This record gives sequence, structure tokens and C-alpha cells, in this order.
Amino acid sequence: MAYISMGEAHRRITDFLNRFSDAVSSQDAKSLSLIFSISSNPSFLVAVSDALITFQDASRVIRQADRYSQYADILLPLFRALQSYRLRNLVESYQAFEKAANAFTQEFRNWESAWALEALYVIAYETRILAERADRELASNGKTPEKLKGAGSFLMKVFGVLAGKGSKRVGALYVTCQLFKIYFKLGTVHLCKSVTRSIETARIFDFEEFPLRDKVTYMYYTGRLEVYNENFSAADHKLSYALSHCNPRKVRNIRMILKYLIPVKLSIGILPKTSLLEKYNLTEYNNIVLALRRGDLQLLRRALQEHEDQFLRSGVYLVLEKLELQVYQRLLKKIYIIQKQKDQNKAHQIKLDLIVRALKWLEIDMDVDEVECIMSILIYKNLVKGYFAHKSKVVVLSKQDPFPKLTGKAVNS
Amino acid sequence: MMNQGSTTNTMATLDPSPQESHQVVDANQHHMSSYYAAPNSTVTPWAHTADSYARENGVLSHSGYDHDQRAALPSRNVQDGLNVATSATTPSSGDTNVQQDYSSYATYQSTDPYGYSNTGYAAYYSGYQQPSNQSYSQPSGAYQNTGDNGYQQQSSQSYSQPSGAYQNTGDSGYQQQSSQSYSQPPGAYQNTGAPYQPLSSFQNTGSYAGPASYSSTYYNPGDYQTSGGYTSGAYNNQTNVWHEGQYAAYTSHQYPSYSSDTNASYSSTTAPAASQYQQQYKQWADYYNPTQNDVTCAPGTENISVSNVSSLSCPVPAGYSASGVHASASHAPPGKPEPGLSTLAAVQSPAVGGNVHDSYWKHWAPSFQNQQPDPVQSYGQKPLDVTPSHDNLHTQQSSSCPQGPSTQYQASYQMPHSYQSSLPTVQQTVTSADTSSASKLQIPTNPRITPTLTTGLPKLDKQSYTTNAAAKPAYVSVSLPEKVSSHAADNALKPDAFPKSLRGYVERALARCKDDAQMVSSQAVMKEVIKKATADGTLHTRDWDTEPLFLMPSVDADNKERVIFSVPVSSSPTSKRSPSRRYKSRWEPLVEEKPTVQPASVTPDASKYGSWNRQFSGGKSDNKVNNSSHLKFSLPQRKTLKIDVFRPAKRQCVGDGMDTADNGEASSDSDKERRQSAHKSAAVAAADTPEERKRRENRSKRFERGHGNRVASNDTRSRNDGAGNVYTRRATALVLSRNIEENGNHAVEDIDWDALTVKGTCQEIEKRYLRLTSAPDPATVRPEEVLEKALNMVQSSPKNYLYKCDQLKSIRQDLTVQRIRNELTVKVYETHGRLAIEVGDLAEYNQCQSQLKTLYAEGIKGCDMEFAAYNLLCVILHSSNNRDLPLAMSRLPAEARENEAVKHALSVRAAVSSGNYVAFFKLYKTAPNLNTCLMDLYAEKIRYAAVRCMSNSYRPTVPVTYIAQVLGFTSVLLTTEESDDADGVDDCVEWLKAHGACLTSDNSGEMQFDAKASVSSLYMPEPEDAVSHGDASLAVNDFLTRNPL
Repeated sequence: MAYISMGEAHRRITDFLNRFSDAVSSQDAKSLSLIFSISSNPSFLVAVSDALITFQDASRVIRQADRYSQYADILLPLFRALQSYRLRNLVESYQAFEKAANAFTQEFRNWESAWALEALYVIAYETRILAERADRELASNGKTPEKLKGAGSFLMKVFGVLAGKGSKRVGALYVTCQLFKIYFKLGTVHLCKSVTRSIETARIFDFEEFPLRDKVTYMYYTGRLEVYNENFSAADHKLSYALSHCNPRKVRNIRMILKYLIPVKLSIGILPKTSLLEKYNLTEYNNIVLALRRGDLQLLRRALQEHEDQFLRSGVYLVLEKLELQVYQRLLKKIYIIQKQKDQNKAHQIKLDLIVRALKWLEIDMDVDEVECIMSILIYKNLVKGYFAHKSKVVVLSKQDPFPKLTGKAVNS
Repeated sequence: MMNQGSTTNTMATLDPSPQESHQVVDANQHHMSSYYAAPNSTVTPWAHTADSYARENGVLSHSGYDHDQRAALPSRNVQDGLNVATSATTPSSGDTNVQQDYSSYATYQSTDPYGYSNTGYAAYYSGYQQPSNQSYSQPSGAYQNTGDNGYQQQSSQSYSQPSGAYQNTGDSGYQQQSSQSYSQPPGAYQNTGAPYQPLSSFQNTGSYAGPASYSSTYYNPGDYQTSGGYTSGAYNNQTNVWHEGQYAAYTSHQYPSYSSDTNASYSSTTAPAASQYQQQYKQWADYYNPTQNDVTCAPGTENISVSNVSSLSCPVPAGYSASGVHASASHAPPGKPEPGLSTLAAVQSPAVGGNVHDSYWKHWAPSFQNQQPDPVQSYGQKPLDVTPSHDNLHTQQSSSCPQGPSTQYQASYQMPHSYQSSLPTVQQTVTSADTSSASKLQIPTNPRITPTLTTGLPKLDKQSYTTNAAAKPAYVSVSLPEKVSSHAADNALKPDAFPKSLRGYVERALARCKDDAQMVSSQAVMKEVIKKATADGTLHTRDWDTEPLFLMPSVDADNKERVIFSVPVSSSPTSKRSPSRRYKSRWEPLVEEKPTVQPASVTPDASKYGSWNRQFSGGKSDNKVNNSSHLKFSLPQRKTLKIDVFRPAKRQCVGDGMDTADNGEASSDSDKERRQSAHKSAAVAAADTPEERKRRENRSKRFERGHGNRVASNDTRSRNDGAGNVYTRRATALVLSRNIEENGNHAVEDIDWDALTVKGTCQEIEKRYLRLTSAPDPATVRPEEVLEKALNMVQSSPKNYLYKCDQLKSIRQDLTVQRIRNELTVKVYETHGRLAIEVGDLAEYNQCQSQLKTLYAEGIKGCDMEFAAYNLLCVILHSSNNRDLPLAMSRLPAEARENEAVKHALSVRAAVSSGNYVAFFKLYKTAPNLNTCLMDLYAEKIRYAAVRCMSNSYRPTVPVTYIAQVLGFTSVLLTTEESDDADGVDDCVEWLKAHGACLTSDNSGEMQFDAKASVSSLYMPEPEDAVSHGDASLAVNDFLTRNPL
């Protein structure tokens, strides 16, 4: 760290303070938000941090002038946060920053207009980021990471400030999204419910009035929630909304959306083009799609096994696993088509033995009872029209549309 | 104590020390008079404040002043040996006072009618801090504001010396009122010499903690009384302020100071010197100044000011009051308005300068000629040129004197006070006066304290007090009738003053005393002698120079007296808090290790003392460490205390034995008490090694945690301790939030859990489970070996699950309280988990599972794979939450997937998720461990789903034999035994019928399941054993049959 003279340090600090008070007095949200963006390491913040390390008694500088001291509650902890961040003491930094953020939120609550929303966004973002880093630091020290949880409850407070009526409500969705990120990271997705309820039941504010950016994020996360709940049609709707409104240049975001949208689409019988998967590097779905096309149960199982960890983590494993029935259906359909080519009249009767043999050929070892059970389930779930004659061990297919398409509806479970 | 009661009570409590009480009363009266006067007279003595409050403050300060004097008294007594009796009494009173203060505090806290506390305090603090930092220059400025030039001078001069002290101590002290004032005194003492430190501390305590320390005796009573006179409301306010401001701080600071004071004072006795007196005077002056400053600083409200005055600025108020009193007394009769005016005059007079002093002296002179010379002498002795301080003192004295003559008892009482404080020679007179007054008053007062007498007398006291309070004017003109009589006598005596020869006599008598105990007892004897002399009129005629000295009184007798005092005190309502202190005292040593333990003698209540000491020590250390705030002290105290010396602890223990008076080194004197408390203190006294200390510390902590229950059984006092504990905890809790930063660090990390862990001694193998509602008793906890036997017993027991569950729970409990976490623990939980699975007790199983998870995570070996499989099955089968499953699966380590049981569980999951009932029941038959039991719980559901599925997909019929086979109704596969198969079919038929399936027979007589007909007829029957509350095991019938375990 370069040596800074006392005078230089003092100058930098006063400069910073001036920036802050100027931004507040001129209601310049842009420069105000810059002041809070610790984690993005803007050069002037680094400079101030260095100055703070050199010049220990910054609190006196704040107290000297009225225009600073009235924001001492914000500035003092902010200084501490900057300093500790620079010294790589992230836990300390987070704690101080949360204090500053809290003070700023109080201040924000008192301001009539929502001019400082931009800065509040930055604060919400930084709170989350710093908390994540602090947790990483805690975890590496063998301590319980708990800061992100704390950030969650703090942002919930911020949400409370914004969620009311009036101009500030526009910002509520951004905070909601930050909360989603925290909750999904912590695995406490059930906490999302209270936030979403507040967003979706409020009639006073049309959802469309929120910023597009936030809407896409919101839809993405709520779509994921629907995937967890295996509510595929709703998930499809939300994720599709997110996909269609997402900035097409944000490839990473589109990929994230597709990661969930593809399994959802698959489970309602819609297969993606291979080119799409390749464009967004979603190759883990390649074999699954292929298995669905071919009716290759073995391929599906292998694909699932291969990416099990990944699918389990993203939460789509169970969704993909349920595609098995569709693969059976496809297999049966193939057999049916082959039989039809052989003998048009007897094509609608498929012997169980034949199916077992086909599965054997796919290197899947299932006894007759199990296959019979699967056939029974296929019929029961309306993937196959017809009935099963136990006595003759034959699947009797309906003559009209024996393999109905899902057409956007999930397999009823 | 209640609010109203508090005032009266305080008086009553004061009573034990008659002299003190009188003094207190006097102080109150003074206050009252002056106070009243102030409102009446438009002219406010304090120009700057301009508020009647200011006057009040000044008046209150009177009381404070008295306190200071009192504080001084003990020290003087020691030195002079004249006031012994008074000193002895004073200590007791001090204790009582302390209690009173506390009680009053408590009540006030609850009331909180005025929001002053916070603001007032803050203001107060700020004001103090400034003076401390700037070394009084500001205070003088404040005075200037007031417009009293003379005062400024006084303050400045007096301060000059103290200022140094202040600055030195300043860091720690000023934020805290007590600390500030206290700090000063110590500094001053240090300069002068060790002996006087106690005095300073006394003063400090008096000023700050009025309640806690001696000052409190005078002080507090005074304050309280005054408040009573004003109105209960005002009183409340004061107390409120204190409370909110820093209750915790109070206890800690004041007490600490108190203890130190007492100790110091006693120590000082060893080296009494004229110079010390001078120093005292200086200090007094200093105090006055600070108090004045305080008053100016906190003009906000009466309450605040009052509190300030009483607590902090005792000296100043005294000065003021004194002056005011002087003016009133000297200038005019004791009219209400006059006192106020007089106060003004007094204030002004100092400003005027030496002339005024002269005038005061003159005034004074007529009334007390004898006394005058004494003060003069003292002044002469003083090398210091602190004229202002002298003036103050003079004024005080004078004020007291004039009042005395003026008809008010107060005056007479005050006289003694002031004298005592100011001059040793005066003390003689004072003592005589006090004794006389005391003797009269003592009787009524004492009874109150003593439990036996309490019934009759206390009421009287209360009444009198209440009357006083109610009739404010009465105070001004004439106080209580009882007192009046006694006072009158006193007055009669006082004008005469005591002959010089008497002084010499007392000095001689006290000079013989080898230790404090003797001093105290001889003081008592002398009191009697003087009382007698005054009664028969020989006080002045007798030749004291030739009077033979009385025999050295036995200390024991004295002790007994004290004992009486102490007991009542503890029984009194105020004593509630004392236990807490005492509790601490028992375990925690005092900071100071001064050779003389006389402080004990001062306080009849050893327990309280101890606590104070403790707190004090904590406070002291804190002061050094923290500049911050009082509040922080409370918690830190404990730790710091422990660090400190423990000799004091011994003393405290002795004190617990009732009489602490002589303890300390004068072991011979206090043998009795020692013996009494010996068993209690034995542990403490055992050794001074750090290990011992640590052990003790741990033990004390444990008791805290354990509510002191066990202690209580051994010692009745311990009960109090427990209560006190609770109290202190609550008190500390209030402060906790602010303390967190400091305490948080120590508290959690310093707790030695190992030391707190119970080591069981129970040898019984069988033990019924009982949920603990208190700390575990080692006598009922089984050690590990026994637990192992118990586990084996349970495992091999033929008894039913309820019995086993009960036994296992008690084993688990014993493991938990002993913090045993090893293979045995795992075994116990695994055993219980398996048992629970077997009977389908999922609630119990889940408890075991969660414990096992952490145990396995700690690396303790066990059947973790088996239980991982159970966990997985549980999630699959019983969790409606789809999110848990991927989580549980992703947490499985790679090697777990190779495990038979885990693999099986995963297959089951796959079967369930796809609805493959055939696979499910195949797996059911091959399940390892107890997986079957868990699958059992899901079988019904999956069977029903399967039948529904069949009814929809099969046409026309399905043979029941097939259904029985695929749905697991046969225990073994078809191939083996026909009989089993048949049984399975029968079961299946029964089951199908129960679920509304349509069955038909085909030609060959084989039972068929009519699929199409069943589609609409299938239903899920209500479980037969279902109960409305959802838990079959809670069914009444079952419960009744369960009793014989």
C-alpha cells in the first residue's frame, strides 16, 4: 500500500465527504450510488479506503462540519466498512456496511421522493454481495456463516420501506429479487412466499410498471419456484416470460432461464432444437432430448446419472426423472409403428414379451411383472390409450390416437 | 418498597443509626426549609439557573453535604477516636440506607413517570465531562454565569488542587459521576497520603451513590426525606433518573466506592493526621465546587437536579445549603421564605469575600462559641490557603449552627455533621450532640429494624415520616413531634457545646483502642457516658480531664448489637437486593486488600457490604479500563472481581456471618462471627492460589446457572442469594445490550463448560425419564459406565417399547447433561432410532436422527450408512416437500451410494417416484436392516395407488392372486410355499374388499378383480386405529393399558 501523507489522506476524506453531501443535497442518485458500491472497487473508493487507513480519526472530520455530521450514522460505519474491506476483513466490513445501510434506509424513509432509489439499489446489492463474501470468510475460518441470513432480514426491512404505496414502490421489485437471490442461495426458498405474495396481490400497482430488468429476474425466480413445486404450466409461463423479455445480448441470463425452461418444456412434451442447446451450451440436455426422441430408456438413465450432481443442485433432477414415462411411451410407439409396418391389423395388440425383449435389447433388465406395471401406469396416466389384458399379457391399444400428445400439459401424476 | 413507603421506609431504615437518621432528618429538614423558601422567595440564589430547581438542588445538596460529612466522620472517628460511637452507628445506618436507596430505586424504576432520566442524565454527564476535561475552568465559568464571583473563586481555588486529581483520574472517572468525584478524592489522597483515600472514596460514594455508601446514609435519607417533603412525585423522579440513567452503574460504582471508602477510612485510622484533615477539607471544597458545577450543568428539571445533587454533588449542595442555612439562621429566624433568601445571601456572601466569612463566623460564634474555636483551629492547622474551601466549610458549619438555634432540629443535627466533617475538635461536640439526639431517637428507630420490634414501632415511624412528608410546611416550621422533642434536647445541649476537656477525654479513650472493633465499642461506651452526662447535667461540670477512662468494652457485645441490626436489615423488604450482592460477595473477592477491614464494622449488613465491595471492585477496575459509561460496569464486574484479590472475599464471608465489623485482621474480635460463617467461607478462604480462585469462579458461575437451588438447601441465606441473583441478572440484562461489546467477548468465551458439566454419581441402572425443570442433580445422574449397563439392559429387555423408550430417553438425558458424546452416545441414539422405526414412532425417530447426524458429523463412528438410508427413506416416504429430496440426495457422499442400504433406499425412491408398485414391493422383500419398517409405512398408500391404476388400465379382470403377489401380500415369493401364498391371497381379498374393490369369481372359481366396476367404487378407508388427534399412541385405551410399564 502506497504511503499517503496525512494531508493527502485528509484531503481524500474530505473529498469523499463532499461528494456524499453534494450528492444528497443535489439529489444526485448516480454519484450517491457510486459512493456505496464498495464491492465494485471504484478507484476513488480505494483511494479513500487507503486514506482512512492512514488517517485514523476520520470521525472527527465528520463531526467538524454540520453537513457531514448529520449523516454521521451513515458515514461513520461506511468508513469502517471501506477500511475493513480494503484490509480484507470482510466480516467486519459487512457488519459496518449493514449499519451504514440501515442508517441510509432510515434516511431514505424520511425523504419525500424516491430520488435515491438508485443508491438504495446499490446498497441492497452491496449488502448481499458483502454478506456472501463475509460468509465465505467465516466458512474458511471454520465459523458458521450467518451474514447472508442477516442480510436477508435486513433487506426484508428495506422491502418494508418500499412496499407501500407511492413512488418508492417501484423499487420494491429490485429488493425482492435480491431477496430471492439470498433465499435461493441459502436454500430457504419458503421465505420467498411472503415477498411474492406482497408483490402479486397488490392491486394498487401494476406489475408491468416495474422496471423490466426486475420483472425478468422476478419471473425467473418465481418460475424456478414453480419448478420446485412441479407446477409445470405456471413454470412454463413465467420462465417463458423471462426468456422473451430478457435482453437477448445477456447470454448468461438466457442460459440460466433455459436451464429451467428446457426441463419444463420437456415434461410437457416440447423438445428443443439441438441448435438451441448448443448455442447456449446446455449440452447436458442433449442426451436427454435424444433419449426422448428415440425412446431410449438406457440413454436417459445414463444421461441422468452422468449429470446427477448438476441436476440435483439445480433442482431439475426429479423433473427429468419423470421423463421416463415419456420414453416408455416413445418406445411403445416405435414398436407399434414397426408392427404396423408388418401387419396393419394386429398392430394395435402389443405383446408384453415383445416389450420386455425390446427393453432387454436396450440393456435394461426388467421382468414381466414390472413391464406390465409400467404399461398399466402408461395407460393410467393417459400416455397410452387402450387397456391391458392380464390373461393374455397383451397391451391393447386404441385404434384412434393410441399415443396422445401432451400438447403443453404435463403428465398427470 | 413502594414509592410512598420508600420515603418512610428509608427513614425507618435510617433509624438503626439514630444519629445518622437524625442527621438525615436534619438534612431533610434543611432541605425542606430551604426548598420551600426558595419557591416563596422570588429571588433565586442561583442567578444563572434562575429556576427554583436550582435552589432545590442546592437544598438537596445539603443533604449531600451532610453525607460527605458523615463520610468524613468515620475517618475522623478513626483518627480522632472521639466519634467512635457515631462512626459505629453510622456504618449501620449506612447499610440500611443503602438498602433503602435500592428499594427506592426499584420502585422508581417501575414508575418512571417522568421521562427525565435519560435526558437528565445525559445532560448531567455532559456537564461533568466538561469539567473533568477542562479541569474546572468551565465549572468556574458556570459559576460566573451564576454571577457569584466569590463562588468562582472558591471553586477555582478549591478546584485547583482537585483539578489535578481530576485530570489524573479524569479519564475513567468523569463519564461516570461517581467515578469522577471519586477519582478526584483518591487523587487528592494520594498526594496527601494513604489514609485519606478512604475519606475521599467516602465522599465520592456519598455524592454519587448516596444510596450505596455512607453518604447514602446521610445523603440518601436526606434526599429521600426531602423528596418526601416535596412530594412523592418528585422523589420518584429522582429515583427514576437514577434508575434509568444507570441502575447498574449505580450498584457497581457506588458500591465499589463504598467498599473502598470504608476500607480506606479504616486504614486511615492507622495514620490519622492533621494534614489529612486539611486534605479532607480541600477535598470538601473540591466537592463543593463540583457539585455546584453539577447543579449548573443539570438545570433541566427538579428531578434531575435533585438526583444530581444527591448523587453526585453532595459536597456542593452542602456548601450551598450550608450557606443558605447560615443566612437564614444567622440573619433571621427560620421562616420559610427566609431560608431561600438566606441561601441567596449566602451564595452572594461568598462572592463578597472574606468579609462575608467573617460575618458568618460572627453569626456562628454566638450560637456555638466552643465550636468556633475548633474550626478555627482546624483551619489554622491546614497549611493550605484554600480560603474558598474554608469559606465553604465555614458556611456550612455556620449554617448548621444557626439552624440549630433557630429552633429547627435540623440545625442541631446538621451542626454535628458539619462539625464532624470539618474538625476533629468539633467532633466532640458533635458526638455529644449526636449521642444525645441519637439516644433518644435510636430506640424508636432500632426497633424498626429489629424484627421483634418492628410490629409496633415501624408504624409509628412511618406515620411520623408520612406526616412529615405530607405536611411540607410542617417540615419548615417544625418537624415531627418525636424528633422535635429529641431535637429540642439536642438544641439545648448544643448551644452549650461540649467542653474541650470532654474532647480530650474521648481522644484519650479512643487512643487506647488497638483496632477498629475496640474503637467501635469504645465509641459506643463513650456515647453512653456522654449521654448520661448530658442527661444529668454534668457534661460541663465534670472534669473530663481527670475522668477515669472506662474499661475497654468487649467487642462481642458490640458485635451482638450489630448483629441485631444486620438481621433486621436482611429481613426488611429492602433487603431483596442485598442478597444479590451478598451472593456475589461470597464468591467474589474485593478489590482492595487493605489491612484494616473496618469497613465491615461500618456496615451491619455484611452481605450488602460484600456485594458492594464486589461491585465496587468491578467498578473500579472498569473505571480504569473504561472511560465509557457506568452501564458497562455491571457485567464486567464479575470478571474483574474475580481477578481481584480475595482476601476481601474472606471478609465478606465473615460478614455473611452477620457481623463484619471487626473481621479483617482483628480476628480475635470477630471470632464468633467467623465461626458462624466459617463453614461457608471455608471454601473461599481455602487458598489464594489462582487455581483455587478459578475453581471458585466456576463454582459461583455454576450456582448462578443453577438458580442457587442447592445452595439454598444448605444455607438459608443462599436463598436470598438466588433471589438476588435473579435480581442482578435482570439488572445486568438491562445493561447487557450496551455491555455486549465488552461482555460479549468475555462472557461466552470465558465460560468453562467443562467446569459446569455435571458428573453423575447415581448407580441405578434403571431410571425413569423426567424432563428436567432445573439444574441436574449429580445424585440422580448416572455416570457413563452405568449408562452403558442401562443400555444393555434396555436392549435385552423383553419389555415393551414404551418402557424402552422411557429408559432410553433417560439415558439420553443423562448423556446430555454430562455432555458425553462418544460411541456410547451414538449407540444409544441408534438403538433408540431403530426401536422407534420398528414401531413406527417417527417423532422419536426424527429426534434421534437429527442427533445422529451431528454425532456422525463429529466423526464418531456408528452405523451412519444405515441411518443415511433411513433418512433417505424418510424423506421419500414422508416428506411432502419435493425440495428436500434432491437436497438429501445431493448430500450423500459418493461412497454412500455404494452402500447396500443406501442403494436400496435410492431404488425405493425411484420406484416411488415412478409409481412402480411392482418394483416397490420387490424391494420391500429385499430390504436390508429396518428399511422394511419404513416402507411399511408407505405400503398402504402405494397399494391403493396401484389398485387404482389397475382398475383403469386392466380389462376386463385381474386375478387376485396376481394382485396379492405384486402388491406384496405374500410374505415370500410365489415359488416357495403355497400356504403362504394362500394366506396372502386371503389378506389381499380382505384388503381389496376394505377398499371397495369389486371382486368376482371366474369359471374356475378363482377370485378376480373386476377392473371396470372398481374404477368408481374404490375408496381409501379411514384407518381403523385413527384417532381424532391424529396420534394413535395417545388413544385413551392405549394409555390406560400402558400404565404398568
